[in-house]
Amino acid sequence: MSDSYRPQVVDHLVRPRNAGEIGDPSGRGESGDAACGDVACFTVGISENVLEQVRYKVYGCAACIAAGSALAELVDGRDLLDAARVSKADLEDALGGPMPVGKEHALTLVLDALHKAFEDHWNRKADEMFLEAQGGPRTGGKSVVAAMSGGVDSAVTALLLKEAGYDVATVTFRLHDGERGSRSCCSPDTVLFARETAHRMGLPHFTLNLKELFDRRVMQDFVGSYSEGRTPNPCVACNAHVKFHASSFLADELGFHHVATGHYARVEEGPTLARPVDESKDQTYVLWPVPRDLLSRTIFPLGDYRKTEVRAIAEERGLAVAYTPESQDICFIPDGDYRTFLRKRAATEPGDVVDREGRVLGRHAGVVDFTVGQRRGIGVSAPTPLYVSEVRPRKGQVVVGRKQDLEVREVRVRDLNWFLDTEEASCVQVRYNGSPVSCTVEEESEGAWVAHLDEPVIGVAPGQSAVFYTGDGERVVGGGVVGGS
Amino acid sequence: MTDPVYLDNAATTPLDPRVLESMLPHLGGRRGNPSSLHAFGGAAREGLEEARDRVASLIGASPEEILFTSGGTESDVLAILGLARSAGPQKRHAVVSCVEHAAVRETAERLHSEGFEVCWIGVDADGLVDPAEFADALRPDTALAAVVWANNEVGTVEPVPELAEICAEKGILFHADAVQAAGRVPIDVSEAHISTLALSGHKLYGPQGIGALYVRNGVSLEPIIYGGGQEKGLRSGTQNVAGIAGLGTAARLAREEMEDRTTHERALRDRIMAGTAEIPDVFVNGHRERRLSNNVHLTVKGIEAESLVLFLDSLGYAIGSGSACSSGRHKASPVLVAMGLSEREAFSVVRITVGKENTSEEVEGFLGAFSTAVAQLREISPLYAG
Repeated sequence: MSDSYRPQVVDHLVRPRNAGEIGDPSGRGESGDAACGDVACFTVGISENVLEQVRYKVYGCAACIAAGSALAELVDGRDLLDAARVSKADLEDALGGPMPVGKEHALTLVLDALHKAFEDHWNRKADEMFLEAQGGPRTGGKSVVAAMSGGVDSAVTALLLKEAGYDVATVTFRLHDGERGSRSCCSPDTVLFARETAHRMGLPHFTLNLKELFDRRVMQDFVGSYSEGRTPNPCVACNAHVKFHASSFLADELGFHHVATGHYARVEEGPTLARPVDESKDQTYVLWPVPRDLLSRTIFPLGDYRKTEVRAIAEERGLAVAYTPESQDICFIPDGDYRTFLRKRAATEPGDVVDREGRVLGRHAGVVDFTVGQRRGIGVSAPTPLYVSEVRPRKGQVVVGRKQDLEVREVRVRDLNWFLDTEEASCVQVRYNGSPVSCTVEEESEGAWVAHLDEPVIGVAPGQSAVFYTGDGERVVGGGVVGGS
Repeated sequence: MTDPVYLDNAATTPLDPRVLESMLPHLGGRRGNPSSLHAFGGAAREGLEEARDRVASLIGASPEEILFTSGGTESDVLAILGLARSAGPQKRHAVVSCVEHAAVRETAERLHSEGFEVCWIGVDADGLVDPAEFADALRPDTALAAVVWANNEVGTVEPVPELAEICAEKGILFHADAVQAAGRVPIDVSEAHISTLALSGHKLYGPQGIGALYVRNGVSLEPIIYGGGQEKGLRSGTQNVAGIAGLGTAARLAREEMEDRTTHERALRDRIMAGTAEIPDVFVNGHRERRLSNNVHLTVKGIEAESLVLFLDSLGYAIGSGSACSSGRHKASPVLVAMGLSEREAFSVVRITVGKENTSEEVEGFLGAFSTAVAQLREISPLYAG
């Protein structure tokens, strides 16, 4: 019968297993709230990746109490990886079959609370360690931590690795509060969705809370750069400080060798980055800041596939993610309106729009609205189209000029991360969808490089990335941040 | 295991064996249609009219003022829609209390969506309607007012005769849902100026699926079911003769035994209230004195009602989680919210309703089981720090 409880549920209700709370837990997780009707709380004692103790408390309907009890019984004493693999389907089996109609949420709720306890465990261990590159490269073994966003690319990444014989553990990062489907009672839909996808593939899933790190290293940098007249790339900042470090941390904790993401790129000897098979999806331009020792343990399975093939694989294997939409440009600004996002966070004052000779042509509402190379929204009429050629935040000035005024033949680059011998650098790409331009590089002073371009390019914005490629344009020699000209 | 103990008499009562006895002749043997002219029809008609007399006697009505329906819900819906739709285009306003059974509440909401203006009368923390506030809400264009005689969840008994009097003075029609009150509270429509009043069989130790609506002589009603013109055209369809005969017997017994029953119930009720009061953080909802003789309604802090009900069920005690009609919908009861309970409190309520069959041994057993269940569920509740 679908609308009444099975005897197993009543048995767990009346004789709950592992009920209570651990006094000094290594992790604690809570899910649900009064509006949701139910609250589940798990405390765990984890030692050397074994779940030595687990206790739960639930306020809620019989389904929630029984699900909490059954889950605690299923994971008690298990290896952490096996505990993180326990799915809603496993829980249903333990409870004698599906929950009555309208009670399915109980399974999601208790699993979420347990996973939040695991997350708390990792976060207590991690502390500030995400900031440093983790451990040394471990190659040769077939175990990998695969980052999962909930989208099709990362799901297929995990699947391909599993099919290639790897031990795979999946991880989803909490980066910011703007996730789709964020509700007060459970984790955002994206996290729940990623967990279900992992569990359906039989893979363990973890979450790591990186909100603080992401805020400091990515979002604050994003706002700060605009205020200083630079054009930041948040994906670059994330790859430089967040995603690969956190994956690597978890791999070290689990004793795993590799880390993997769903980026379209390849890792070659060196290590260095190489262009993927699907050049239209090439992400090498945003991956240049991944530290060498992290890149050496990284696998990008999708580098050998076309996007259409990736979707086909997802569809063929019955992954629900096959039909998820492409992710947005900037994950923490889901509506894409980054001007509004900036204005809420950056103090900005009106100032003058000037030409290259310093003549005032008009007024603007704040420098954060402008990026080098921008043509729209300048608010000054002129016989030929005007472009932003420079942003001077200290003077509050936006400098405009004609298109040819934006041409540069030299690009200054700092904060370099070299993979190969600098002499191999023979062309440079200065925009995400730009083409590489032939160049020669020269170190002007310690750590400060200049690229002499064979032909002029326009719209080189300070703060963007300059990525150097080998002569055939296939491999990344190194990359850095475009400085002031 | 011993037989389970039934303490959910507000949901439905057991069928009285004497009621069953009176139904049997209409279920087997020479069954006729009461509308038929022949002897078979005549026998059925006789059963029908005898029952009508008995139901009328329970509430001080004349037999011709009683019509039979499929139950309390149909009686409420027929009264509300029927009165509103026959009131004429100048009267498009209704006054309804916030503590109505869903049958009245949702029908009033339906009226609202049809363009009626509905004024909802609030209650105090005990669930009691204030007559002065009620009187203020009445207007010249008020078509009808409706207040439940005794609330089905918390058991508070409303001052219905007083409210009906106020309406009568202003010429406003008044409907009372007496499904829980009948047989427990003296009802006399020859004294109280009530226009329509709803009754149900299975709350009176009668059969399920049968109810009655009292319609005062002279009050006109638009039917909601059309057809053969039975029940004076107000409720078409061949009557449920066996059910009606059962309801008649149940009404007769209720009238004859009301005092004994309520005395018995009150003793058990008060013992449960006293016994549960010894457990910390358990509170009685509803009015202490103006309360149905069989109703105990409790907030049990830190526990969700459903788990407590199922726990007690496994120990052999059947009680209700709040109002049986709102469980399974996972929405806080509007009645409890109107009384000022928070969402969370409203999910932590149980209803224990005794009946004439219950014994004090059963009640003692229940109190032991209740305290065991509450202690164990609180043990695993993250919201209860004992």
